[in-house]
Amino acid sequence: MIALNFQKKLIAANGKMLLSVETLIKEGSLVTLFGKSGAGKTTILRILAGLTQPDSGKISVHNSIWLDTQNNINLKPQKRKVGYVFQDYALFPNMTVKENLEFALNKEDNSNIINHLIEMVELGELQHRKPFTLSGGQQQRVALARALVQKPKILLLDEPLSALDEEIRYKLQKYILTVHKEFGLTTLLISHDVSEVLRMSDLVIELNEGKIIRQGPTNQIFNYQDLSAKFQLTGTLIQIIKQDFIYILSVQIGKDIVKIVADESEGNNLAIGDKILVSAKAFNPIIQKIG
Amino acid sequence: MNKLQGSINNIITSESLSLVYILVNNTKITAIVIDTPTTNPLLQIGKAVTVIFKETEVIIGTGTNHTISMQNKFVGPILSIESKDLLSKLIIETTVGKITSIITTNAVKQLKLVVGLKVTAMVKTNEILVTE
Repeated sequence: MIALNFQKKLIAANGKMLLSVETLIKEGSLVTLFGKSGAGKTTILRILAGLTQPDSGKISVHNSIWLDTQNNINLKPQKRKVGYVFQDYALFPNMTVKENLEFALNKEDNSNIINHLIEMVELGELQHRKPFTLSGGQQQRVALARALVQKPKILLLDEPLSALDEEIRYKLQKYILTVHKEFGLTTLLISHDVSEVLRMSDLVIELNEGKIIRQGPTNQIFNYQDLSAKFQLTGTLIQIIKQDFIYILSVQIGKDIVKIVADESEGNNLAIGDKILVSAKAFNPIIQKIG
Repeated sequence: MNKLQGSINNIITSESLSLVYILVNNTKITAIVIDTPTTNPLLQIGKAVTVIFKETEVIIGTGTNHTISMQNKFVGPILSIESKDLLSKLIIETTVGKITSIITTNAVKQLKLVVGLKVTAMVKTNEILVTE
């Protein structure tokens, strides 16, 4: 268990705000921090990593105390076994991919992990290149691998994919899920993208003005039934046409617009702009090769 | 969307696919899923589940005897019929509960469907979603 209980006064866009967090996170889970900009999400990650000090509080991770302001305990960031990935990749520009990873390695640690990570996130062919010759998605893969060199227990991801286009995001989401499982990590992700949250996380903590307003399994927070359907997409409703006993919905999914028929029980409460989850059995689609 | 509550009565798995038998009010419903008890913990005998299928996927036949590949057949009288230009909406009181079907108004006319008539509502095995 990771037990967080801390408070910190912050200056937010519209005045003072008290960040006050009390929650338990189960080991091995992938948790999304969800909420408006300025809700305190990044500060939570920074406090957990030891980069920002709270005014008061306690953090314990798997029974070891990282922070206890009452007893003057405050583990240094480098002692906290935390991997951190930011939106801007923050790689060293003068070092190659492999050197960036090597730089993160403790002297006494086995360097086999470097090659293993390079293999896992498929950086083999790029390992001798400098960051500026890489695409955004490739750089973020390097940043992800670098965050794992010291075999952290906790991986903190602060909107790591928001600067990337849809296709690359999807690929990186898969890499993140792979390393999350392989390294038995507890991962905290900040994301504003509902489809990303649905695809990635087990649990969602929703924040507003420094407070946790909701917390629970992803499907409960986003109020949909987990259908275990094999064909699941999230999209935005852009048009609703009612005809006879059905609704014809136009839904933007990624770059594509699809039309879907909803019956009255599905369509009655929908409005343009709603985010919707579209599920179908895997048997219906007809496949044709193109090009 | 038609939603029925039931419990899993039997599961037959072969490689990636499973045939799941669900009992709803003592009537058996069959679903085929790309899952096995190992890939989806929901697939356990005795587990309470919800069966979901779209109103537009419910086929209507008159009478009760059909030599047809449909595995899910629910018999009962028509409770209501509403017809518009192209589509009609029927509610049937079956052994598994009330089922809504959207079919063409042409079909309603051809089959001479009227309230009270005993019909069979049918759903293909691969149109049935099994969920918690």
